[in-house]
Amino acid sequence: MPTARTVMQWTRRGVLGALAAGGAGLVLAGPRRAHDAPSDRVVIDYWEKWTQDEGRAMQNVVDRFNASQSRIFVRYFSISDIDRKASIAIAGGSPPDIVGLWNFNVPGYATSGAIQPLGDLFDSGTLRMDDYAPAVRRLMMHRGTPYALVNTCGTVGLYYNRKLFKEAGLDPRRPPRTIAELDEYAAKLAIIEPSGRIERAGFVHTEPGWWTWFWGQYFGGDLYDQPTDRSTASSAINTLAYEWVATYPQRYGVKNLVALQAGLGNYGSGQNAFLSGRVAMVLQGPWLANVIARYAPSLDYAVAAPPVDESIYRADEPISLLDSDVLMLPSGCPHPRESMEFLAFTQRPDVVEYLSTVHCKNSPLLRASDEFLANHPNRSVSVHGELAASPRAFIFPRTPAWPMFRDEMEAGFHRIWRLEDSPASVLKKVDVRMQQALDVSRRRLERRRAATGGVS
Amino acid sequence: MSTAAPSTSANVSGPRRRRIGPGWARSIARHALLAAISIAFALPLIWMAATSLKPEVQAAAGGMSLLPDPPSKTVEYAAANYKAVLADPTVNFPLYMRNTILVATLSMAGMVFSSAVVAYGLSRLKWRGRGPVLALVLGTMMIPFPVIMLPQYLIFKELGWIGSLKPLWIPAWTGGAFSVFLLRQFFLTIPRELDEAAAVDGCSAWGTFWRVILPVSKPALAVVALLHFVYTWNDFLGPLIFVNHRDQFTLALGLQLYQSQAGNIEWSLLMAASTMVVAPVVIVFLAAQRFFVEGVSSQGLKE
Amino acid sequence: MSRSSAPPVVAPTGVSARRRSQGSLQVGREVGVLRGLLWASPWLVGFIAFMAVPVGMSLYYSFTDYNLVQRPVFIGLENYERMITDDLFWKAVGNTVLYAAMSIPLCTVAALVIASLLNKPIMGVSIYRAAVFLPTLVPAVASAMVWLWLYNGDLGLINRILRPMLEPLGVTPPNWIGLRGSGDKFWAMPALVFMSVWSVGQSVVIYLAAMRDVPAALYEAAALDGMGPVAKFRHVTLPAISPVILFSVITSIINSSQIFGAPYIMTQGGPDRATYVYSMYLYDAAFVYDALGMGYASAMAWVQLVVIVLLTVLTLVMSRSLVYYRAA
Repeated sequence: MPTARTVMQWTRRGVLGALAAGGAGLVLAGPRRAHDAPSDRVVIDYWEKWTQDEGRAMQNVVDRFNASQSRIFVRYFSISDIDRKASIAIAGGSPPDIVGLWNFNVPGYATSGAIQPLGDLFDSGTLRMDDYAPAVRRLMMHRGTPYALVNTCGTVGLYYNRKLFKEAGLDPRRPPRTIAELDEYAAKLAIIEPSGRIERAGFVHTEPGWWTWFWGQYFGGDLYDQPTDRSTASSAINTLAYEWVATYPQRYGVKNLVALQAGLGNYGSGQNAFLSGRVAMVLQGPWLANVIARYAPSLDYAVAAPPVDESIYRADEPISLLDSDVLMLPSGCPHPRESMEFLAFTQRPDVVEYLSTVHCKNSPLLRASDEFLANHPNRSVSVHGELAASPRAFIFPRTPAWPMFRDEMEAGFHRIWRLEDSPASVLKKVDVRMQQALDVSRRRLERRRAATGGVS
Repeated sequence: MSTAAPSTSANVSGPRRRRIGPGWARSIARHALLAAISIAFALPLIWMAATSLKPEVQAAAGGMSLLPDPPSKTVEYAAANYKAVLADPTVNFPLYMRNTILVATLSMAGMVFSSAVVAYGLSRLKWRGRGPVLALVLGTMMIPFPVIMLPQYLIFKELGWIGSLKPLWIPAWTGGAFSVFLLRQFFLTIPRELDEAAAVDGCSAWGTFWRVILPVSKPALAVVALLHFVYTWNDFLGPLIFVNHRDQFTLALGLQLYQSQAGNIEWSLLMAASTMVVAPVVIVFLAAQRFFVEGVSSQGLKE
Repeated sequence: MSRSSAPPVVAPTGVSARRRSQGSLQVGREVGVLRGLLWASPWLVGFIAFMAVPVGMSLYYSFTDYNLVQRPVFIGLENYERMITDDLFWKAVGNTVLYAAMSIPLCTVAALVIASLLNKPIMGVSIYRAAVFLPTLVPAVASAMVWLWLYNGDLGLINRILRPMLEPLGVTPPNWIGLRGSGDKFWAMPALVFMSVWSVGQSVVIYLAAMRDVPAALYEAAALDGMGPVAKFRHVTLPAISPVILFSVITSIINSSQIFGAPYIMTQGGPDRATYVYSMYLYDAAFVYDALGMGYASAMAWVQLVVIVLLTVLTLVMSRSLVYYRAA
């Protein structure tokens, strides 16, 4: 017995000792830092949200820039929770040189003085506003001043399954153009079991469910009126739009829709609702093609402009959301001049098109090269390009309070989707809460202006 | 009498000897209940480890077995998962492991040492103002972290610590309310004769602390050390706020970075990364378990 | 020596310390105030630098509009007034109270039951103890991920176990925590509460230590009175360890008012803000909503501090009649 005990004790000590030794070894001999930079160059730290394939593509751009000259060296870091980390770092006076965020961050960052205007790049003629798609131009600006550059962007189009169209007796060359047609097609494409279980849906608003706030746009509505700084969430048009949204749970049953949702797989997998054929039509960005190529290469699909309400339909001016990533220069950036040089490099057409190709997005530039259109992984990228070029392409509402707006609309959408409350009542509540937030935001801005003597 | 739980064994063995039948049945029931509870508590971790051994297709397929199919390929599949996690260019787990070990060790050493010093001053020395200071120590336990996190960040920035690992371990060298409290409670139970004997031998207060009190308090110090080590190892919000640079990431932060990469990460890889973060602490605990639990619950003074 | 050879390390305020206090507690080496402060100085330095000053700073910020980047602008009580009419603030308060009201009693009862089961010299007790304690070693990020996987509506282990049990009854197990608000609004909060029970290990160890310290004579007397195990637990164990329970409940109040990691990673506050807790709103107010509202966030943090202090005092006062302190 005592020997067994001693053995146990020695085993334990051995394990602890080995762990301690391993730990000490790692501390002493282990890696110190993830990145090394040559000492004879100006080092630019660039924080970006992208990881994995998207991050690797940006790293390639950085490598190309580093190889293209011998004065500046850019280090690429992918950061989680980047908007919060960036604001703390900027506040703490130790910001990176360049930060890559989402376009809806621009108003908030510009308002709080966390980023610098980029007017010089345009005044000096290095970049030209006219090169960009109109919606891209709008989102680079904050109150008339350029504050951000767009390195990739994507418009949202209607992806539809051609094979299922044929099976349902629909013409795959004639996708739905209006909301009424969308409903009609959706009803024909759906397969509903007698129990109510949805075997296949023609269309559901929750797939992918990333933009629960934008349905009013397809009826000609808007959530926010910038000139008057008013929330217009409960306008008659928006209410109409969300009443249309509510017809889906009314028709198919909340329980059945929730069950459908629970059974759908991850966006980035073979179980993706559109790839697996569980949903025949979805509103999605060009990046969906990357997922299709990887998990369902034989899928027979096509892309069209999103259907809109009949009263505002115009074939030459489609309505679509333009979502984008932006590059910004933080206040207190240690090397603004060198950073500008790298920023300008990222906007070169060949660089933009390389990144857009790997990320599987359309180009933020108005003119795309033939090579880009020919080699793009999304064979319908030109459709997305046309959507971006349309004067009616829309972007996120331009207010610092937008993130709260988005969350409120998301919560409200799900109340409507579950038929827990009427669209009018939900939107009214969003309106009240949001107007409160907008008022606070405006008061803060005005007070700040007064405190700094009008310079903000 | 063995070291384990002398007092309780006395009070249970009495009735049990009198009524053998029911006691025996009750013991079985107790075992069954405890086994069920233990399985329920261990299952999430077992499931985590099991998922990390399977290829994604099998992890998502719905099988309840702990090993992949065929089981003979376990090592191969597991290696593929872990290699994929380690090879991911966006996360550098070896570097984060090094940072975490460094921070946890330095932090633990400071916490144990300083808390012991303070606890000694608050338990075995009598001075005016001792009560209020103790009340203050206890009172700080009520301060929520959000109240102080941003000002702390600004202070660390003034001290020039941002951009290094210092914010994660130097504050531990000022002790912590909970540790001070635990050690004070322990020191109070040490017979005062020990101090008096030391005083007779001409020991100063420091000498008594260093040569008499500390050696007899090893179990308590071990508990404080382990608890704080685990706390630092797992701390998420601190590094989240104070660490800007990926060179200074800790494991908890690295894991969150890995997880936050949209919905494209596979469950098997996520579980492999989680297992890598959890395993070292679990092994330390299992190896030191006896020492730890005995230190908490009984042991006490051996002369 | 052997009679009192079980000093619990973790036995706050109460039984053990008081019991022994007759002997050693009150006496110690007499030293001057300066010497005493010198011994306490490591903690005092940390207290001033990393607690008192930050607490003061955040009090000041709470009266300002502060975005971290530009200088704070003094605005008096505006941030506090704003809270009164901010229904999202009240929603977050309500959710946090709901979480605490479910989690604290459940965890306390679970910890007491497990501790009393473990408080017997039975074979394999160290294995059981280890199994119960292990989850407390898991980082919040990792446990959030593991539970996200366990709760997965389709593939998760929990529903895989529940489905064969519930489906014959015609009941579908809930989609506990779905991605992007697709989960069940009713079950999301209970899911977080169940998860909190998983990490009661530390309370179990604390209760166990306290139970070990209950004098055997009390149990012997109870046995003579013909008490069964349940009665003994009710009339001997519970009163004897009540100070420790009180301490643990207060700690739980403090901790659950700050819950952040699990909802932040698992539900992002959804679906429909059903798990949107106080710390998440504080975080959003500070970093996400509206151009860095650090002033408002500081005011919220201060309200939290005041409420915690009030709750602690209230608990202490209310427990006077419930907690049993043995006379010294």
